[in-house]
Amino acid sequence: MRSLEYAVRRGIFTVVTVFLAVTLNFFLFRALPGSAVSNLARVPDSSPELQHALTVRFGLDRSEWDQYVLYLKNLLHGDLGVSFTYQRPVSHLLLSDLQNTVLLAGAGTLGAIALGVLSGVVAAWRRSSALDHLNTSLAILTYSFPAQWLGLVLLIVFAGVLPAGGMSDQFLFQSPPFWRHAADVAAHMALPAATLILTAYGGYTLVVRSSMLETLGQDYVLTARAKGLPDRRIVWRHAARNAMLPMVTMVALDLGFVVGGAVLVEVIFSWPGIGMATYTALSQRDYPMVQGCLLILTVSVILLNFLADLLCFRLDRRVTA
Amino acid sequence: MLKALDEERRPGRIRRIRRGATALGVAVAVGCGVVACESSLGEAAEGGMFRLGSDQPIDSLNPFVAVVSESFSVFQQIYPNLVQLGPGDRYVPEFATDWTTSRDGRTWTFHTHAGATWSDGRPLTAADAAWTLSTIKKFQDGPAASMASHVTGLVSATAPDARTVVLTYSRPVANVLTQVTSVPILPEHVWKKYAGGDGGALTTFTNSAPVVCGGPFTLVKYVPKQVALFRRNPEYYGTKPRIAGFGIQFFGTDDAMILALKSHQLDGVQNVPNTSVENLEAAGFEVVSSPGLSFDSLTVNANPKQRAAHRELADPRVREALDRAINRDEIVRTSLLGRGRPGSSIIPPGTAHWYDRTVTPTPYDPEAANRLLDQAGYRRGPGGVRIANGHPMRYPMILPDDTSSGYGLRSFQIVRSDFARIGVRLTPRLLDNAAANDALAADDSKEFTMSMWAWSGAASDPDDTLNYLTCRSWGTLNDTGYCGREWDRLYAEQGAAMDPAARRRIVDRMQRMAARQRILLVLDYADKIEAHSRSWTDLPLVGGESFSAESKIPLQSVRRAG
Repeated sequence: MRSLEYAVRRGIFTVVTVFLAVTLNFFLFRALPGSAVSNLARVPDSSPELQHALTVRFGLDRSEWDQYVLYLKNLLHGDLGVSFTYQRPVSHLLLSDLQNTVLLAGAGTLGAIALGVLSGVVAAWRRSSALDHLNTSLAILTYSFPAQWLGLVLLIVFAGVLPAGGMSDQFLFQSPPFWRHAADVAAHMALPAATLILTAYGGYTLVVRSSMLETLGQDYVLTARAKGLPDRRIVWRHAARNAMLPMVTMVALDLGFVVGGAVLVEVIFSWPGIGMATYTALSQRDYPMVQGCLLILTVSVILLNFLADLLCFRLDRRVTA
Repeated sequence: MLKALDEERRPGRIRRIRRGATALGVAVAVGCGVVACESSLGEAAEGGMFRLGSDQPIDSLNPFVAVVSESFSVFQQIYPNLVQLGPGDRYVPEFATDWTTSRDGRTWTFHTHAGATWSDGRPLTAADAAWTLSTIKKFQDGPAASMASHVTGLVSATAPDARTVVLTYSRPVANVLTQVTSVPILPEHVWKKYAGGDGGALTTFTNSAPVVCGGPFTLVKYVPKQVALFRRNPEYYGTKPRIAGFGIQFFGTDDAMILALKSHQLDGVQNVPNTSVENLEAAGFEVVSSPGLSFDSLTVNANPKQRAAHRELADPRVREALDRAINRDEIVRTSLLGRGRPGSSIIPPGTAHWYDRTVTPTPYDPEAANRLLDQAGYRRGPGGVRIANGHPMRYPMILPDDTSSGYGLRSFQIVRSDFARIGVRLTPRLLDNAAANDALAADDSKEFTMSMWAWSGAASDPDDTLNYLTCRSWGTLNDTGYCGREWDRLYAEQGAAMDPAARRRIVDRMQRMAARQRILLVLDYADKIEAHSRSWTDLPLVGGESFSAESKIPLQSVRRAG
C-alpha cells in the first residue's frame, strides 16, 4: 500500500513535469530572435514570395497560441509534426536517431560502469599502493577531459585504424550479412564509445573506491578474513556487493542522461543520433525537430528518474513515501 | 599467502584479458577490413564507387522543398536539364541537343534527345520539360516560390512535339540559359498528380528512393543526414558515366571528414578547410584550388534613415575611411592562409568571365583613413576613440555562425585591430544565422551598425549577385540598408540585354558603382578547395566543383587512375 501510494505520487509528479517540459520546449525557441523562415529563405533567388510560402507551409502564419494548441493535440495523437528542413515526419526521423543514440550511449554507459567498478574495486583493494595512486589519478584525469577534446584526440590518433565518422560503411549498394554489419557498426562505434567511457568511468571509480573502503572496514569483512577466506572472495563476493548500493543510485540517475549525454560526441563522430539531430535542428531553427528532440531528451530523463526513484524505494527502505 | 595466491593466478587472468582484447581487436579490424573490401566488391569491375564527403547534408529530395546547394547537386545528377555548364564556364547541351533564339529574344526553342526514357521505362520527352517549367510558373508565388527566379519573364512553356520545347518570354531575358540550367526536368507522369488545386501537395511529396530518374545516375539509397548512393543509369541518353556509381556521406565536423579522406574511407572531399590543405598535400592527395564563387564582406549600414546613434556610418567619408583602414593582404595571409585573394568587386573572380578586373582592392592606408575622419570632424576622444555627433565611434559587429565558425573570426580580429588604429572600436556580437538575419532586418534595417558575412553566386552568371542589392531584395537578401533607383534600373537593363557585350558593359558599370559607393566592403575571395585521392583521375571541376549543381560532366568523366 505504501509502495503504491509512493508510485502514484511520483507518477503524478512525472506527468506534470512532462507537461511543463513540453510547454517550455514549445515556447523556448520561439522566444529567441530569428526564425526557420528567415534562415531557410537566405538562399540565392530568395524573394518575399518564398518567405511567405515558407511561413504558410510551416504554419507560422497562425498565432503562437493556435500553434501550441495544435501541437498539443497532435502530440496526444503521437504526431510530432513534419520537419521544416526535411519535410518528413519528425517521428520517423527521430526513431532511428533514438535507436542509434541508445546503442552508442548505452555501450558507453555500460562500458564506463564496468570499467569504473573494476578500477574502483582494485583501487580500494590496493589502497595507498602505486596502483591505487595511478588508477585514481588516471580516473580523475580522464573524468576532467572535455568529451569533445578527447574525441578529437582519439580521432587523430586512430585515423586510418578505425573509421572516422558515421555509423557504418555507407557506400554499399547491398546490405551486408548481419554479422558483417554488426562488426562494421562495432568498428564505427569504437572511438565514440571509447570517448564516452573514458570521460565517464572516473566518476564511478571514485564512488566505488570510496564505498569499497568503507565496506572493507566493516566487522563482517574482518570476520571473513579471520575465517581465512581468500582475499579475492572477500573483495568480490562480500565487500563489492555491499558497496554497490551508491552505484545503483548513481547509475539509475545517469541512465536518464544516456539519451542526451552524447550530443558533442555524436557531432564529432557524425554519429546519427539524437544529439546530432538536436544540434542540426537548433542551427536550422527546425521547430518540430527541436521540439521532438527535446521531448525525447526531457521525457527520457524524467521517466528514467521516475524509475530510479522507484528502484531506490524498492532497494532502500530508508526512502520514505 | 593470499597475495602469493593472487600473484599465481594473475598470469591466467592477464591471458584472458589479452585474449579478450585480441578478440575485440580482431572484431574491430574485421569490421573495418571486411567492409572496406566489401565496398569495392562488384563495383570495381564496373568502374568503382567514387566516395565523396560533405559537411552539408541534403535537406530534401523534392526540388520544390530543397534549399541547400547539395540537394541541387543531387538533382543535377539524377534529373535531365535542358543545358548544363561545361568546363570553361560555357553552356553546353544536356537534354537539349541544340537551341535557337528568336530575333526579339522572346522565344527560345530547344530540341531534345530522341528515344530517351526515365528509369521506370516511360518515355522522357520535351513534354516533361515543358510541364516542369509550366508548373513552376503556375505556382511561383506559392509552392514553387523557391524556383521562381528560374522562370523570370516566362509566359509559357510548350512542347509542340516530343522533341521540341518552346519557351516564350514577356520581354528579352539575357540569362535564360542560366535559368534553365538550374531547373531539373521532372517526370510528369510521377509529379502531375501532386500539381492539382493550389499545388500544396507538390511540397508534401517526399520523392523517396527509388526515385524515377532520367540523369546519368539513379538514386538507390538515401538515409537522411547520413548518405546518398547513386548507381550509373544504363538508360541515360547521354555519355554514360565511367564509374559504377558514387556516394556522398555527410559529416558533422570537418575534422572527421578530412581524417576519413586521409584514411581512404573517402575518395574526395568538397570544401576543404584552408588549415587542412598542407596536411592533405603532404599525404599525397590532389588538392585543387579554384577562384571562389563567393566573397567575404563587411557590411556597414548604408541606410540613410538609420538610427541617429550611428547615422555617420552612411557618410561617404566614413565609409571610405573604413574601407581604406582594412588590411586585406593581412586577411588573405592570416585568415585564408594565402588561399584566396584580396576583395574588390561584388562579382567574384570565379563567376565565369564577369569579374571586372579594373575594380581593384582598396589599398591599405590607415593614414589616409585617419585624415578622412579628421576632415569629417570626428576627433579623437578619451581612449583614442573618435567622437561622432556627440557619441564615441564604438560599434557592435554582427558575426553570424557562418562567419564565426570558420576563418571569419580571424578576419574580424584583423579588422578590429585595423579600425582601432583609426579610432573606431568594434565589439563582436556572435549570433546564429537565424538571429543574425533578424538583427540585420530589425526596424527596417535601421538598427544594425555592421556585420561580416559571405555572399555566393552562380558560377556562370552575375544576376544572382547583382540581385542581392536591389530594393526588391530588401528584407530578404539585401541586408545592407542600401536601396537605389539607379541600381535597380541597371539591374533590369542587364537582365534584358541580349547582346553579351552590351550586358557586359552594364554589369561592369554596376560593379564599379558598388565599389565606388562602398555598398559592401569586399574583404576577400576565398579559394574553392577540393581534394581527392590520386586513385581517381579525369575529374574536371566546373565552377570549382566536382559535385556540381550546374553540371553533370565531372562525375560522368571521373574514372579510376591506371
